[in-house]
Amino acid sequence: MKKISLTVNGEQYEEYVSNRLLLVDFLRDQLGLTGTHIGCTHEGVCGACTIQLDGEAVKSCLMLAVQADGHSLTTIEGLGQDKLTPLQESFSEEHGLQCGFCTPGILMNISEFLEKCPEPSETEIRNALIGNLCRCTGYVHIVKAIQRAAEIRRQQRENIE
Amino acid sequence: MKKNPRTRKTDNNWIGARLSRKEDLRLITGSGAYLSDISIRGMLHATFVLSEYAHATIKSINTTEASKMPGVIEIYTGENIKEKIKPMPQPVVVPNLPAEYPTFWPLAVDKVKYHGEPVALVIARDKYVAEDATELIEIEYEELPPILNPENALENESPLVHEESRSNQIFGMTFTGGLTEEEQDANAKKVETLFSEADVVLKERFTVHRTGLTPMEPRGALCDWSESDGLTAYITTQRPHIDRLALIDILDIPGEKVRVIAPRDQGGGFGIKAPFYRENILIAYAAKELKRPVRWVESREQSLMSVGQERDQINDLEIAATKDGKLLAMRNRCIADNGTGQSGVYWGFVMPFLGNIEMPNAYTWENGHLTLQSVSTNKACLTPSRAFGHFPTRFAIERGIDMVANKLGVEPSDLRRQNLIPNLPYTSITNEYYDSGDFLKVWDNLLSRVDLAQFRTEQEEKRKSGVYLGIGFACGVELSGVASELLVPMENQPGYGAATVRLDPRGKVRVFGGDAPGGQGHETTTAQVVAAAFGISPNDVVVSTGDTGITPFGAGSIGGRAGSYFASAVSKACVELKSKITKIYAHDIEVDAPPEAFEFKDGQITYLPDPEKNDSFEKIVERIIMFPINLPDKEVGGLESTAFFEAEKPMICFNADCCKVEVDIETGDFKILEWITSEDVGTVINPLIVDGQMQGAVIQGISNAVLEQFVYDENGLQMSTNFENYKLATAADVPNVEITYATTPCPHTPLGTRGVGEGRPSSVPGALTNAVCDALQPFQVQITSLPLRPELIWRSLQQAQTDSSD
Repeated sequence: MKKISLTVNGEQYEEYVSNRLLLVDFLRDQLGLTGTHIGCTHEGVCGACTIQLDGEAVKSCLMLAVQADGHSLTTIEGLGQDKLTPLQESFSEEHGLQCGFCTPGILMNISEFLEKCPEPSETEIRNALIGNLCRCTGYVHIVKAIQRAAEIRRQQRENIE
Repeated sequence: MKKNPRTRKTDNNWIGARLSRKEDLRLITGSGAYLSDISIRGMLHATFVLSEYAHATIKSINTTEASKMPGVIEIYTGENIKEKIKPMPQPVVVPNLPAEYPTFWPLAVDKVKYHGEPVALVIARDKYVAEDATELIEIEYEELPPILNPENALENESPLVHEESRSNQIFGMTFTGGLTEEEQDANAKKVETLFSEADVVLKERFTVHRTGLTPMEPRGALCDWSESDGLTAYITTQRPHIDRLALIDILDIPGEKVRVIAPRDQGGGFGIKAPFYRENILIAYAAKELKRPVRWVESREQSLMSVGQERDQINDLEIAATKDGKLLAMRNRCIADNGTGQSGVYWGFVMPFLGNIEMPNAYTWENGHLTLQSVSTNKACLTPSRAFGHFPTRFAIERGIDMVANKLGVEPSDLRRQNLIPNLPYTSITNEYYDSGDFLKVWDNLLSRVDLAQFRTEQEEKRKSGVYLGIGFACGVELSGVASELLVPMENQPGYGAATVRLDPRGKVRVFGGDAPGGQGHETTTAQVVAAAFGISPNDVVVSTGDTGITPFGAGSIGGRAGSYFASAVSKACVELKSKITKIYAHDIEVDAPPEAFEFKDGQITYLPDPEKNDSFEKIVERIIMFPINLPDKEVGGLESTAFFEAEKPMICFNADCCKVEVDIETGDFKILEWITSEDVGTVINPLIVDGQMQGAVIQGISNAVLEQFVYDENGLQMSTNFENYKLATAADVPNVEITYATTPCPHTPLGTRGVGEGRPSSVPGALTNAVCDALQPFQVQITSLPLRPELIWRSLQQAQTDSSD
C-alpha cells in the first residue's frame, strides 16, 4: 500500500492504494466516481475511461493510481459542475449519444481537444475521435455535436472580445 | 442548478417533435447507473476461468492452491455444480421448433466445446484477488480434434460436437411449399420447372464471415439473496421477464421469490443481451448458496470470445429470370455455422431461421425453394445481432439481383424497381406477411435524390483517367416488432406490448414497461406519446423499465418492439384513462358527452361544445384520485391503467440504400464517397431519435461488412479477443450518411408508428459490395463474399484479369 495525494474534480484526497491498483478502478471503486467507464480489457482502445490529468486527456485504464500522486484529475463528474458546458449541451441537442457508455470518455477527450483546436474541420474532429469507440451512433451525430460546441464556444469568445 | 437542455417550449403536438432526450442529462454528467456502477455492501466478485481449447476432455481441475488464497471465498467447477443446478435446455427458453438441443450446465462438464467456454468460477472478496486465483487453478485437458467446418461437420463420418445428438445438424428446415415433405417436394419440382424455362439463371455461392454487434458495455450480473425476499438479480439483459422465468425454473426457486432487474442504463444491446445466458445462472446460484451478493462484470476478452458472434453463413443461391427482367424464382441452400448452440432462447439457429424467412425481401417471386441447415461446430454459439439472421441472406439476395442485372445488361436499380412488390399487403414465398407501406414510394424517393444518368456520365468520364467510381443499391423489408403469431413458434414467447400508465394527484405520470432498452431513447419517445395524449409536457412524464418487480410482462427490447408494440400499449392505456377522466368530468359539469367531446391541451381539459367548461388537467386528476365522492354510478376513483397491445397483423418497415464509392484498382482500396438512404418508418414520434437509429445501423453494417471479423485458427482458437484484433469502425473510418424519409403510417398501430432500426443494417453489405463491383464493371469483377477488404478486391481484380487473358 502506498499513500497518494491528489486533487480530483477540485477536491483534495489523501488515500492509501495498493501498488497495482489501476487508476480507473481507484476512481470507480475507491472514490465512487462511476461515470468513468471500462469498455475494453485495459488496453486503451475503447476510450470509455478517458479522464484529464493536469488538463491532458489520458486513459485511466493505462495508468496506476500511484502514478496520479501529486496530480490534478478531472473526471466526467467534474465537467460542467455548476452549469453544463456547451459540449455537453451540444451532445444532447444533436443526439450525440445513445446508450451513453462511451460518452463520458468522449466528452473528456474532446473538451481537451477543443481547447487545443478551437475551430476544427470535420476531418480533424473525426481524427480526434479515433481513440474513442462508439457502437450506437455511427459517429455522425457526435461530429455534429462537436461542430455545434465549437461554434458556441466561438460565439462566446467573440462576445467576450 | 443544472437544467436539462431538453426543457424548451414547443407546441402541444409532441408526436413528431424533435426533442433531445430525457435520458441525456444523467449520461452526459457521469451519473448513469450501468450494471457495474451498482454495488451492494459486502458484495463479492466473480471471475470465470475460460477453456484454453476448442475441443478437449477435462481430465482434472485442481483448485487447491487457488482456494488457499486469502480472500477467495468459493471456486465452482462443472463437476461440483452439475448435481445442484438443472441443465439446459429448460422449456421456457426453448423455441417451438424441433432441434437437437444440446445439454449443458453453466460450466463445462467433462468436455470443453469451444475456446472460451466457462470452466470454473472464482468468487473472492476483491476482483484483483479473483483474477489472481484463476491463474492458480490447474486444469489438465486432453485435446480432441476440433470440428470447425460446417460442411465437413455434416458428413456422416464427422465426429460430433455433442455426443448425445444424432448428427451435427442442430436444426434444419425447408421454408417453402408447405409443411409435409411431399408438399415441399412437389413445390421444389414446380420451382425446377421455372428454372428450366427461365431465360437467365444465376448460380452463386455467397459467404459471410463471423461478425456481429459488440455493445460497449459487456455483460454482467449482480445477484443478491435474502431468505425473506429471495433472489434479486440485476442482469444486463434486453428481456428481464424471460430471464426471471428461466431462473425460477432452472434454480427451482418459487416464482414470488425471484425479481430480475435490468439496470435503467445499459451500454447497448443490439441482440447480444437478449439470450438467456449460462453465466447468469451461476452468479444467481452462487449468491443463493453463499447468501452474499455476488457481482460478475464480464471482461472484454470474455465478451469477444463468447458473444456477439453472428452472420457466418454460406448461401448457395440460384435466381431464375426472364430476358425482360422478371424475377421468377429463387432457390437457396443455407448452411449456418451455428457454433455450439449452448445459449438459451436462440440456440444459435433461430437467427438463420429468421434470416431464411426474410430472404425473399421486397420482390415478387413467383415461387422459391429455401432450405437451411444450421450446423454445430466447436465455436462460440451464434448470438443475435441487429439484422438478426438476415445480414448474410440479404447480402446474397441483393448481390444476386445485381449479378442478374449484369447478365441482362440492365441497370440494377431498374431491375429492382421492376420487381418490387407494388401493393401491400403481401405474403412472401416464405409466408412472411408484409402488412403495409409503399415500397415504390420509398424507392422513388431514393432515386429522386440520386442523379443516376449524370452519375453514369461522370463514371464513364472518370474511367478514362483511371478513376473508378461505382454506385450500389439495396433494399430491405424489416420486422416492425414481432407479432405473437411469429414469436410464439420462434421463441416460445408472446409478442404483445404491455404498459402501465399511472397518474398522480399532481398531474404527473409514470409509465412502467417490462422491456429493457439499451440506449434507444424509450424514456423520451414514451413521454412524448403520453404528453400528446394528455396535453401535458413530456417533462411531466417519467418512464421506468426493466424491473420485473414493478412492470407488466414484456417479451423484451427486441425486434423493433418499442415504436410498434410498446408505444401502442402506452397509447392504448392513455386512451383508457382519458375515457375514465372524461366520464367523471362530464358528470361533474353535468353534461352527457363521449370522450371525443373533450380536448386535452396545454394542461387543460376543455369541453369542446362549451369551451367555458374547462379545468386544469392536474385538478381533475387530483379530484379523481384523492376525492372520489359524487362519482357517476358504479365508478370508483384512482387513475392507473395497464394495457396490452397485439397488432391485428404482423407488421413491417422498409428501407433502401444507395452508396457511391471510388476504388483504387492498384491497391484494391476503396472509399465511400456518399451514402444516402430512404426510409419508411411510419409515423415518427421523434425524428432525432429515428435519425440516430438509422445512422448507427448503417455504420454498424459498414463496420461488419468491411472491418470486423471473428477469426478462429486451424485449432479452433480464437484470435480476435481484444479490440486491437477485432476492429470496430472509428469515426475516421466511416462516412457521413444522409437519412431521408418516404413514410406511410402503419394502419395497424394506434399512432401509425412502426418499430424501426433492428433489421436496418441488413441492406448495407449488399449496397456497398454492389457499388464496388459497379466501379469494377470494366474488369467483370463479381465479389460474392465478405468481409469486403482491399485485399479481397485486389485478388478479385487479379483473378478477373487472369480469367480474361485465358
